[in-house]
Amino acid sequence: MNIDNIQNTHSENSGLKWGRWRRIRQAVQILGLLLFIYLLLINWSSGEASSQSGIFFRLNPLTAITAMIAGREWIPMMGWALITLGVTLLLGRVWCGWICPMGTTLDWVRFRGAFQRSAKISPRWRSVKYMLLLLTLGMALLGSLTLLIFDPITIITRATTTVLLPALNYGITQLEFALYKYKVFQPAINWVESTLRGVVLPSIQSAFALSIFIFVFFAGILALNALAERFWCRYLCPLGGLLGWLSKISLFRPLIKPQCIHCDHCISECPMEAIQAHTGNGIQPHEITPSECNLCMDCLADCPDSSIAFRWQAHPVLAQEYDPSRRQALVSLGMGAAGALMLSTNVAAKSPNPRLIRPPGVEDEDDFLSKCIHCSECMQVCATTGLQPTLLEAGLEGLWTPNLVPRLGPCDYSCTACGEVCPSGAIPLLDLETKRKQVMGLAVLDQNRCLPWAYATHCIVCEEMCPVPDKAVRVEEVAVIDELGGEVYLQQPYVVRDLCIGCGICEYNCPMEAQSAIQVQRRSSL
Amino acid sequence: MSDKSSISRREFLQVLLLGGFSSMFGRNLLSLTDFETIETEFDLAVARGDSATPTALVQAAIAALGGMEAFVKPGDDVIIKPNIVAADYSYQYAAYTNPEVVAAVTALCIGAGAERVRVMDRPSSSTCEQVYARSGIGDAVTTAGGQMEVMSDIKYRKVDIPDGLDISNWSVYGDVLDTDVFINVPIAKHHRLSKLTLSMKNLMGVITQRNQFHPNLGQRIADLASLIRPTLTIMDAVNILMDRGPRGGNLSDVKQMNTIIASQDFVATGAYAATFFDKTGADIDALRLGAEMGLGTIDLDSLNIEEIAV
Repeated sequence: MNIDNIQNTHSENSGLKWGRWRRIRQAVQILGLLLFIYLLLINWSSGEASSQSGIFFRLNPLTAITAMIAGREWIPMMGWALITLGVTLLLGRVWCGWICPMGTTLDWVRFRGAFQRSAKISPRWRSVKYMLLLLTLGMALLGSLTLLIFDPITIITRATTTVLLPALNYGITQLEFALYKYKVFQPAINWVESTLRGVVLPSIQSAFALSIFIFVFFAGILALNALAERFWCRYLCPLGGLLGWLSKISLFRPLIKPQCIHCDHCISECPMEAIQAHTGNGIQPHEITPSECNLCMDCLADCPDSSIAFRWQAHPVLAQEYDPSRRQALVSLGMGAAGALMLSTNVAAKSPNPRLIRPPGVEDEDDFLSKCIHCSECMQVCATTGLQPTLLEAGLEGLWTPNLVPRLGPCDYSCTACGEVCPSGAIPLLDLETKRKQVMGLAVLDQNRCLPWAYATHCIVCEEMCPVPDKAVRVEEVAVIDELGGEVYLQQPYVVRDLCIGCGICEYNCPMEAQSAIQVQRRSSL
Repeated sequence: MSDKSSISRREFLQVLLLGGFSSMFGRNLLSLTDFETIETEFDLAVARGDSATPTALVQAAIAALGGMEAFVKPGDDVIIKPNIVAADYSYQYAAYTNPEVVAAVTALCIGAGAERVRVMDRPSSSTCEQVYARSGIGDAVTTAGGQMEVMSDIKYRKVDIPDGLDISNWSVYGDVLDTDVFINVPIAKHHRLSKLTLSMKNLMGVITQRNQFHPNLGQRIADLASLIRPTLTIMDAVNILMDRGPRGGNLSDVKQMNTIIASQDFVATGAYAATFFDKTGADIDALRLGAEMGLGTIDLDSLNIEEIAV
């Protein structure tokens, strides 16, 4: 009786302590997700870029390591990832349980029956994340970052940037449109517009090429939570694989002490199902697998007899049955490399799509693809909304990389935002003077569509808009015969090839219906 | 706008006559004469001074027209429309209205008792907030007590242009039509198609689908101007852009005029500024056609002009 009381008091204290840590973890998760959204929001509208917006990518070891391998250079701003690596080597997958905005989102997506369904999933599926990691690394060895489309931070950034925020803005604006007709709502709407428009809400509604696929990709991952809590983190996430692998030698691990009473509380609590039951053996306690544990502290907080504690561990954890063997690892690496080779034989590598216009400062397509982490931060910050995610314009290898589509929005002559936010430096950070001299493409005039050339109609909007001080679009005064046979004096535009930087403002503003009469095309030699 | 509640017999007959004519010609002449000007001693004021600040020039020009109190009544809602079509360089490149000029106009309006002074323009491809920040106009106006308004898509509405000869309706920023006082603060600069962009062309900042104007730019600007008639036009000719407009980028194209031109007649304001480019109002389609439509005059000799040395 007395002993029981003492034990209970002790366990309550311990549980309280860990319960507090769980609260802290939840608070950190919420703050992390809010920070993630905040950093996207400030880039959304003001037209001014925050150099901190890529912080989640800079801390992310998967994007950092693969970009450095593929780009064959040390990228200083991604050196922050060393912090994450250090923390992981010390404590394990803290990133997954505490920081990752994708993980936090998955914690909030709950389905009834997921626990029961997860019991039917073979633990062998956990090896997928390692395979995906090794494939990604194998491709990176040959300079390809295509598989970073599976990086969790790129997934959630892409979905937020190209679908969720644009849809939110569209919804708000449409609601305002509908209500603005009624006088009673006008003061409120005026307040929203004058306070939030251009500050939080963007002043130009963005629209992205088939971004619904990006959403489906993201939503599919959330839906997998129906099969198991944090399905993505357990089985698929290549970043989780990388951190899990490092966690095998982490120094400080949660450990279940021999006093474990096999109540199984921790097993049903664990969102990662990282605790192995040792049933039928009263002596051996349950066991936490560090490579699968995300340090959420749920088990520590809920263990009824305080059997779980953090302990220094010098020896690496034993391999699990689902850990890839050396042979499997080498095959995965090799397959990644082979995949990169095969993608390189796509025609896009030999003869790029003439309408593929990369952001300013990008000089070489191969170099770009070996540094672009497919994150879409640049599309988020592009105030004209001209930067679009590619589908197949850059080949499958370049899926969801930025492409300037001037008809949707030109490259603003006084903007350097994409280079400022690019977390990997794939889009170089340039001062305004240098950026203005970057040649992205060449404006090509179609005289069969151009109003002054084809229809004897006054126009020269392209010349008016051309931001190059010496004017890359110029005009010639001519007398032409119009459709009715009358003589008309007008100005016909032409492009000065050596001055054109391919910003596309001419294409954007060309009044010709549908397809612009002046279009920016890729330059074969710069 | 008018305090007059009754009309004289003379006015009644005028209206009757015009109504008759307008029905004969199939369009409404009434609205053109509907525009009321405030009686001032001078029709047009020009302040010039090589060592004067833009603020002093604005103040002198407006004072010559009887002070801002003549146009802005206490409690009025004021919209100021500068030209900020693009802001790639400092204001010395004369591609957008001088921030100090905009701030000075703002301060005068507030001094006259305006309830709210909003400043807005829609750039050609950047966002409003970008050019407000880059140009320095945002800071200058806020410091002077005004507000920068990011022009919101929901406030545009399609309106009839009863006097339009080429266009009969267009989508226009509603607040500009609804406000008590609308002040046009353009900058005089080169524009290859229209030769110069002056007072009337600056109004294109408050409409959508601007590039659709170009096939018949002069007439369409005049049509638009028949709908949106500023209470006052204050032309920034401190630095003017002589070539490669409207975006500029070469200081060698900029000429220092250190001049502010102000008038209720935006046609005359433009016509006066055109002389700085060795042109006349008749050379600029929008001004000539605007004068033909009765929106103002390009005949500077017919005006009582006050030229002030500051």
